[in-house]
Amino acid sequence: MRVISGIFLLWALSAQAQEDALEKGIAEFNRGQYAAAQAALEAAPDTPQRQGFFALIRAATGHCDSAQAELAAQLEQGGARELGRLAGLALTQCQIAAGKYDDAVAVLARLRTLYPADADVLYQCARLHMKAWNDALFEMFQKTPNSFRVNQISAEIFEIQNRYAEAIPEYRKAIEKNPAALNLHFRLGRALLLESHSPDNLREAQREFQAELALNPTDSAAEYEMGKVFLVNQQPQEAAKRFERAVSLTPDFPEALQALAKTRLEAKQYPEAIVLLQNVVRLQPANESAHYSLMLAYRNAGRTADAASEQAELDRLQKSPQGEFTDFLKRLGEKAPKQ
Amino acid sequence: MIRALAIAALFCAGAAAVNFRNVAREAGLTDSIPNGGAESKKYIIETTGSGAAFLDYDNDGLLDIFLVSGPGGSNRLYHNLGNGKFADVTKEMGLEHSGWGQGVCAGDFDNDGYTDLFVTYWGANVLYRNRAGRGFEDVTAKAGLKQDRVRYNTGCAFVDYDNDGHLDLFVANYLKFDFANAPKPGDNSYCWYRDLPVACGPRGLPFDRNILYRNKGDGTFQDVSESSGIAKPSHNYALSVLTGDFNHDGFTDIYVACDRTPSILYINQGDGTFSEEALPRGAAFDDNGKALSGMGVAAADYDGDGWTDIFRSNFSDERETLYRNRGNAEFDDVTLAAGLALNTRFVGWGCGFLDFDNDGRKGLLVVNGHAFPEVDRLGIDVHFKDRAILYRNSGAGKFADISGSAGPGILEKHSSRGAAFGDYDNDGAVEVLINNQNEPPALLKQSTKPAGNWVLLKLEGVKSNRSAIGARVRLWAADLVETDEVRSGGSYLSQNDLRLHFGVGTARRIDRVEINWPSGVHQVETGLEINRVVTIREKP
Repeated sequence: MRVISGIFLLWALSAQAQEDALEKGIAEFNRGQYAAAQAALEAAPDTPQRQGFFALIRAATGHCDSAQAELAAQLEQGGARELGRLAGLALTQCQIAAGKYDDAVAVLARLRTLYPADADVLYQCARLHMKAWNDALFEMFQKTPNSFRVNQISAEIFEIQNRYAEAIPEYRKAIEKNPAALNLHFRLGRALLLESHSPDNLREAQREFQAELALNPTDSAAEYEMGKVFLVNQQPQEAAKRFERAVSLTPDFPEALQALAKTRLEAKQYPEAIVLLQNVVRLQPANESAHYSLMLAYRNAGRTADAASEQAELDRLQKSPQGEFTDFLKRLGEKAPKQ
Repeated sequence: MIRALAIAALFCAGAAAVNFRNVAREAGLTDSIPNGGAESKKYIIETTGSGAAFLDYDNDGLLDIFLVSGPGGSNRLYHNLGNGKFADVTKEMGLEHSGWGQGVCAGDFDNDGYTDLFVTYWGANVLYRNRAGRGFEDVTAKAGLKQDRVRYNTGCAFVDYDNDGHLDLFVANYLKFDFANAPKPGDNSYCWYRDLPVACGPRGLPFDRNILYRNKGDGTFQDVSESSGIAKPSHNYALSVLTGDFNHDGFTDIYVACDRTPSILYINQGDGTFSEEALPRGAAFDDNGKALSGMGVAAADYDGDGWTDIFRSNFSDERETLYRNRGNAEFDDVTLAAGLALNTRFVGWGCGFLDFDNDGRKGLLVVNGHAFPEVDRLGIDVHFKDRAILYRNSGAGKFADISGSAGPGILEKHSSRGAAFGDYDNDGAVEVLINNQNEPPALLKQSTKPAGNWVLLKLEGVKSNRSAIGARVRLWAADLVETDEVRSGGSYLSQNDLRLHFGVGTARRIDRVEINWPSGVHQVETGLEINRVVTIREKP
């Protein structure tokens, strides 16, 4: 009986030691001490968790080839949630390093389904796209250095950095090389407006938007920008016509709807302005600017309670911690959706 | 028909005659006013100074000049000699003081008939009591205005918010700053401008709150910031102060231009408290609902509808902002419609409405200069030293930029901050005093007399405060109807002439003047002469 209990004790102690080894291995891995982690895990019981961490260590130490199958299995096993997440991230890391972007895209899509609000997953997504963007750009500059696309992409990069004075000549070069390319005149016109509202810039911007519309008469974004130029030039009626056309071309174009609403407000046509702005906030519930305009429209129409409600909504939105980043994204400014 | 032609001829002649020159040197204003680094700036404190003032400290009927200085020099008082020249009387008048001077405002806080001065600092503010025009006495401590800590005080205004006949004092506070803990250029994301490491802020620096001091009527003040509701807005970087009865309820409201944060509109509730209502009243943001970088602020009834409108100067890459008062202090941003959306490359500071051609419509002048000297390294069309902008009021709510044809004074490039407006030689043409960073001030004067007739109204309170601050005037002359109000503070941290200037075009006399005094007295004067200074004393 004492022998049995002694054996049991030894077995229990041994099992405990193995458990301790697993824990130690994981802790060492988390500290980035991969050799120590490997050594500790060797003494741990042979479980899927142990295999998973071996694979993670191999990936972290540059042995991706021998790790990928296990990492993929861990991601799909759905056992330990954290291990699956780490395995998926390590797998995409290996795929990005090997230039297998398509494979990485698929794994990241799976990760985003499993872990929808995970900072590491989202960071890896951003990194993947940045890497792919850099590689494509490098290839473009290397293989087609004289194409208009090189000038276009250079201009767009300058524009994102607020370096409009440098963006403008790049757009002009691109247009010189391919005057019939869609979107170039639009981008040049917009960069001119972003640089300055001087009379010269306004005139030139207007010419570019007209050129864009000559190429594509259904370009609602160009119509919208034309309207903005007319507004700055104090031609509100002409501006309103442009905004109306932009909205008729793209009925769910929030900026054009809002600009049209503002011309209605200016003309004291409050009910019409309110309908337009209600449409914008329906399309973009977090659009602070639209809520602000709607609040003023209600106020001017004498709808005090509705104005107060919009003010409350605006207060709520403006407290959003995402405000500044959203602002940054807005500056990157693509055309309105569905165009 | 003949009359219409005559008016047209007058306006054409007026349009041709606008020619502002900088006469500072010949006027004797030759000393440079130091204000932080000229080539680069390490801290935000170097970017915001300083203000300028026109005031008649000795009651000789001629406006004198006061300039606020940064460290490395003293504030300066220049006495108007009456021959177009000014003499530096800083030392003999007891106004030597050095520090991070910011703003200035004027008003007769003790109702002794002499205009007193209040100067704001990063550090400690100073209240100067005017001793019968023979000198100034620092009465800060005696008046109970010593602050318990270092504060970044900026704009200020004397205001009789409770209509008790004693001028109270409003002081805007920008943010909390101390050299020991301030981040350096490039230290964080708020210390960059277009890839250049620059002085940090205001974003990223802690907020402070504004202050209201109640004048107890015995030469002392009491801090009523908390009880009045003034301290409530606490997430704003406050700079310039504009006072006015924007809703015509007989109580003075306060507008504060704020940098990178929503501007503030304190609506006076008439019971000693204020309610901050800039957002619902449409005066916090631009028309996109975005907070701009408000710097200077000015008021006028530019469209002649009897309601006081507000202009605010902003940072580069932003439009200036004109808020039209649609009645009862509800504002619409009409910048685009008014033709003021073209100049987006300037950082605007001092600003003011002025009827430079005396046609009965107030134009607008804005002085500029970027916050960061480093911007010149970028080689773009944004400069540390830049020209001013002059707008003509074309009527029908529109303005036209006439800077290019308004004379060399407008086109001179400086890094300007404060600007004060006043007629220092009583010739009916308003001059502009500009405080330029690390340069002598500019004094813009028209080289030819404006064609239109004019009147300068000097109001004197009896039951109301002696300076008549808060008195609202409506004037009728021929077919012109104009409105204005006596104000302390305004522009960018500056003080304009306390007298009210009205251009009246071809009118041969002032038919009628109605004054709403802060005391509640409604006074009517008729048949006033033109082209002179007219003093109106409050009737009992």
